[in-house]
Amino acid sequence: MEPQFLLAKAKDEELAKKGECGGAVSALFKYLLDQQLVDGVLTLTRGEDVYDGIPTLVENSEEIVETCGSLHCAPTMFGDLISKHLNDIRLAVSVKPCDAMAIKELEKRHQINPDAIYKIGLNCGGTVMPITARKMIEMFYDVDPAEVVAEEIDKGKFIIELADGTHKSVEIDELEEKGFGRRNNCQRCELKIPRNADLACGNWGAEPGWTFIEVVTEKGKTLVENARKNGYIDVKTPSEKAIAIREKIENVMIKLARKFQDKYLEEDYPAPENWDEYWNRCIKCYACRDVCPICFCKECDLEKDFYTDEDEIAPDPLTFQGVRLSHMCFSCVNCGQCEDVCPMEIPLARIFHRMQKKYRDDTGFIAGVSEELPPLYSPEKE
Amino acid sequence: MLKVAHTICPSCSVGCGVNLIIKDQKAVGTYPYKRHPINQGKNCKKGRDSYQILNENRLKDPLLRKGGLEQVNWEYALETAASQLKSYENREIGIIASGDCTNEEYETLKKFATTLGVENIGYNAKNIPTFNFKTAPLDDVENSDFILIIGDILKENPLLGRRVILAKEGGAEIIAADYPEKTLTGINSDEYIQIESTSSFLDNINRNVLENPQQLSTVIISGLSGEEFENSLKFFQDSHVKLLPVMEECNSRGAMNLLPALSEDELKDLLEKVKILYVVGDDPASYMEESLKNIEFLITQNFLVNETVLMSDVVLPGSCWAEKTGSFTNTAGETQNFEKIVEPPGNAIDDVTIIRELAEKMGLEL
Ligand SMILES: Cc1cc2nc3c(=O)[nH]c(=O)nc-3n(C[C@H](O)[C@H](O)[C@H](O)COP(=O)(O)OP(=O)(O)OC[C@H]3O[C@@H](n4cnc5c(N)ncnc54)[C@H](O)[C@@H]3O)c2cc1C
Ligand code: SF4
Ligand code: SF4
Ligand code: SF4
Ligand code: SF4
Repeated sequence: MEPQFLLAKAKDEELAKKGECGGAVSALFKYLLDQQLVDGVLTLTRGEDVYDGIPTLVENSEEIVETCGSLHCAPTMFGDLISKHLNDIRLAVSVKPCDAMAIKELEKRHQINPDAIYKIGLNCGGTVMPITARKMIEMFYDVDPAEVVAEEIDKGKFIIELADGTHKSVEIDELEEKGFGRRNNCQRCELKIPRNADLACGNWGAEPGWTFIEVVTEKGKTLVENARKNGYIDVKTPSEKAIAIREKIENVMIKLARKFQDKYLEEDYPAPENWDEYWNRCIKCYACRDVCPICFCKECDLEKDFYTDEDEIAPDPLTFQGVRLSHMCFSCVNCGQCEDVCPMEIPLARIFHRMQKKYRDDTGFIAGVSEELPPLYSPEKE
Repeated sequence: MLKVAHTICPSCSVGCGVNLIIKDQKAVGTYPYKRHPINQGKNCKKGRDSYQILNENRLKDPLLRKGGLEQVNWEYALETAASQLKSYENREIGIIASGDCTNEEYETLKKFATTLGVENIGYNAKNIPTFNFKTAPLDDVENSDFILIIGDILKENPLLGRRVILAKEGGAEIIAADYPEKTLTGINSDEYIQIESTSSFLDNINRNVLENPQQLSTVIISGLSGEEFENSLKFFQDSHVKLLPVMEECNSRGAMNLLPALSEDELKDLLEKVKILYVVGDDPASYMEESLKNIEFLITQNFLVNETVLMSDVVLPGSCWAEKTGSFTNTAGETQNFEKIVEPPGNAIDDVTIIRELAEKMGLEL
């Protein structure tokens, strides 16, 4: 369908106040639960502090208010959580573009039922690893990370808010130059607006107190219309100027991401001898495979006796990572999870993202976005 | 219906954080806990599989030997255990714990023994003797300029291994020493020394490397026990290096703070002296079945069925770590609290409660 732009705001005052922008996302969730259109909503709640995002399934609409707000230091992944544990209910979920990409790939592989899920997309400028965030707040902001009550990313700055209301900000460029800031894969990520979800919600182009929504699917359109009719949200049309501003920021972000792709995947890509060093460390813990939302094969080839040979100190990279590469690299959505969880600090996402990018350049297949399966996909894996 | 909850990994002494995925009150998986300062969401295979501990071989009811082991109610099981304990002299009573109970359990057990006047108490220290000095924090490992490692840290304690890798990436020099020809830690170090004995290795160590005050030097000791361990400690203790001994179980360090550390020989000695034994968490039958034969009456408290349970006269079903609130102290001496996430199965209950109720039945005031 033709994309449609609108500004939305929760009618419920508390949701509007506690929401990141206009609380529209939360209001939509509340509507879906109240009308029993879904059995549960999968979102993120704040745990001990702003660096601690905990996936939470909300079944009672009164609890939605506790999940309001964006957590930029919570690089979570919802794809496999849904395919493995929430496949038996009708679900609505807040998704960053990488969550939406993973879900899309899983839908194509019949691991998630597209008819049973509402994907409420959040635009995403990137996420920061929690411990990295804490360290950089100490170093660059000269603030005790425990004193931060809220954080946001705006106009190229990572901004923190303290209990007394003061704000402090540092340019993300500066942080990233020094090895802090967003995760490397986020720096390379060029899907900033999740047009692979039902709605794409964000602050770009929004007025204060409103959420900018790009309606992507018919399902999303119906949802917004009905939520409005039933008194859950107020809706208005954004100005042409706002739409243009949003588009401009998106383009700047995509350009920046491409620059980072060149940097991480070409210029600074580890040399073969660096990879040898990395593979030497691999402890064959399978964390990278298990966390990858695209790797879902129930009987993984990697568990055949050959690979779990105890005597071998480090697995031969060509066999171990090679199996994974040959099975799924075309579909890598660059979510960065494999790298995040690797106990041995191996920059895994770089390999997979690089391969998908090459494949994409050759075939036009964009993982997590294209409707079809990658041309080399073998369906016996399902 | 679905819940993701923070906990501490019970599978080794590093003390990583891990999230449990609970579906319909059952642990079905783990989820990265990226906010945790020790491991930042990274876990080894053992850690990611830790949820399975909650589902395997669980004891669900108190058992009493009547020929075979039979299910009984709590009242009866505790009554029997209490009256048996009371029928022996204090010096005939032995109590042994394992290195994976909570600090709160050690405290309660210690009080229990003190109140009862029992001196034959301790925990299975897996041959690591008690020590008392400030150990290196994990962040110091990462910030070291020089690290000497005895043992295969990368393989056995991967999330401590990660700190070594980070130190190396930061330019640290890494030397590893161990018995095998080749180890994972060895192939990732600047130098690997295959040793025949720790004493000859220590004799040949160039102390100058370790005593350079300009640099932060850390020595990680794992896989050593008894005399070897003590000798290494002595060797490094009065140098300026920071030491980090790696214990085996998730709370051996906590146990050490509260109970006597008993080696296998000391445990055997204890068994020679006593007639009735109360085992909390440990599985002595797996390493000293012979010695257990001297025991007239065996009371076992555990969350799972093991060899000792099968030999016992009374079995008290306790809880798995995620079914209770408590704390573990990791190998670097950091104490971390964790919360109860799920209910224990069947009639199993919290271990501190079991010890308290047993005391109450004996007329003891803890
Ligand atoms: C990491 C991140 C980066 C973002 N970057 C941009 C950006 O660059 N430009 C832009 O226009 N918009 C961005 N957004 C979107 C924006 O911050 C708001 O989430 C969006 O406008 C919706 O506002 P709201 O008031 O309607 O949301 P709310 O009503 O507050 O609801 C937000 C929902 O998102 C969930 N959530 C919070 N954090 C996460 C997370 N990390 N992963 C998944 N779900 C989460 C919450 O649980 C809640 O359900 C980002 C959001 C996130 C989470
Ligand atoms: S990979 Fe992309 S969508 Fe995912 S968190 Fe990073 S920037 Fe956001
Ligand atoms: S390979 Fe890594 S980055 Fe790519 S989809 Fe899998 S987990 Fe995400
Ligand atoms: S997560 Fe890292 S260490 Fe574990 S198997 Fe994958 S590459 Fe190897
Ligand atoms: S290193 Fe130890 S504490 Fe950490 S995940 Fe592995 S077993 Fe658990």
